[in-house]
Amino acid sequence: MKFEDIYQEYWQKIFRLCMGYVNDYALAQDLAQETFIIVWQQLPNFRNEANISTWVFRIASNNCLRQIEKQKRFQKVEMPQQLMEENTESIEPKIQFLYKCISELNEIDRIIISLELENIKQSEIATIVGLSEANIRVKIHRIKEKLTQKFKENGHK
Amino acid sequence: MDTSNFSELWKGQKAEQPAAADLLIKINKFKKRNRLRIVLTNLTLIITSVLMILIWYFYQPELVTTKIGIVLVILAMGIFVYSLNQSLGALKDTNAASSNQEYLKNLLTIKEKQHYMQTTMLNLYFILLSLGIALYMIEPVSQMSFVWAVFAYGMTALWLLFNWFYIRPRQMKNQQAKLNEMITTVENIQSQLKQD
Repeated sequence: MKFEDIYQEYWQKIFRLCMGYVNDYALAQDLAQETFIIVWQQLPNFRNEANISTWVFRIASNNCLRQIEKQKRFQKVEMPQQLMEENTESIEPKIQFLYKCISELNEIDRIIISLELENIKQSEIATIVGLSEANIRVKIHRIKEKLTQKFKENGHK
Repeated sequence: MDTSNFSELWKGQKAEQPAAADLLIKINKFKKRNRLRIVLTNLTLIITSVLMILIWYFYQPELVTTKIGIVLVILAMGIFVYSLNQSLGALKDTNAASSNQEYLKNLLTIKEKQHYMQTTMLNLYFILLSLGIALYMIEPVSQMSFVWAVFAYGMTALWLLFNWFYIRPRQMKNQQAKLNEMITTVENIQSQLKQD
């Protein structure tokens, strides 16, 4: 598998995963780029018997989890309010709200729901995260309930 | 709200995709920077060691204490660079593609090891360095007058004590605080992975 092909196919998906995790456009871009740097580094170790999608999503979600190491550094550099508004203005409010809600979940739930919304099979999500399929199913159900609740409260129908 | 709509909304978020070529440039820069860092740290060790050996060669110390002192200082440098390389190496992900569960477990192990290494290595470094300098100084000091000898040892002792009681604990506290916080966060995420 060529790096360029993986990059074309997965960029948007990986970006969305990172965006759901941090809900910050610039930071998500950085995280997505970092992911592909790791993908590029690790590509020689990729064994073909493994599923490439599982492999890429594992790298991406692990990189997000590692984010905790860098968080402190980023938190201090807050964007000026005005700039932030400009940045998000163009995005549909509902999309924005969805990403905001997801980024407020706990870390593992963020990863699980992002993968689910990306239409990844639950058995694959289980392999990515390292939990049983039954467990993933239960978690997804709960997270979706939570999201629906938040959308209701906020008046989005 | 129908939950299937979430997926549509989710995919509505589009992002600019940097050209693959740009990313490759970034990758290469990253590689170069990494290599430079490794070369620089190791160069420090080599230069210091070469310097010590040159002293040994040209100065021809007569006392065995001087030689032991030189060896100890080089050893201290070696330990310092080794632990530095280790912490840089830990950043490289060998298990980047394992499941989140395993990845976190591994991350925690690495961090706990770092915790231990930092303390041990830093102590060892300071002890070897102090001992090495003290031994090394015996020869040159023995040729000085008594007052100067006391002065030379006094100043060195002062500097070493300052390092041991001020610099070392400070450095340790800084590192440890960061690590401890990191470990707590990882443990917290791990608890989310308990099967319920």
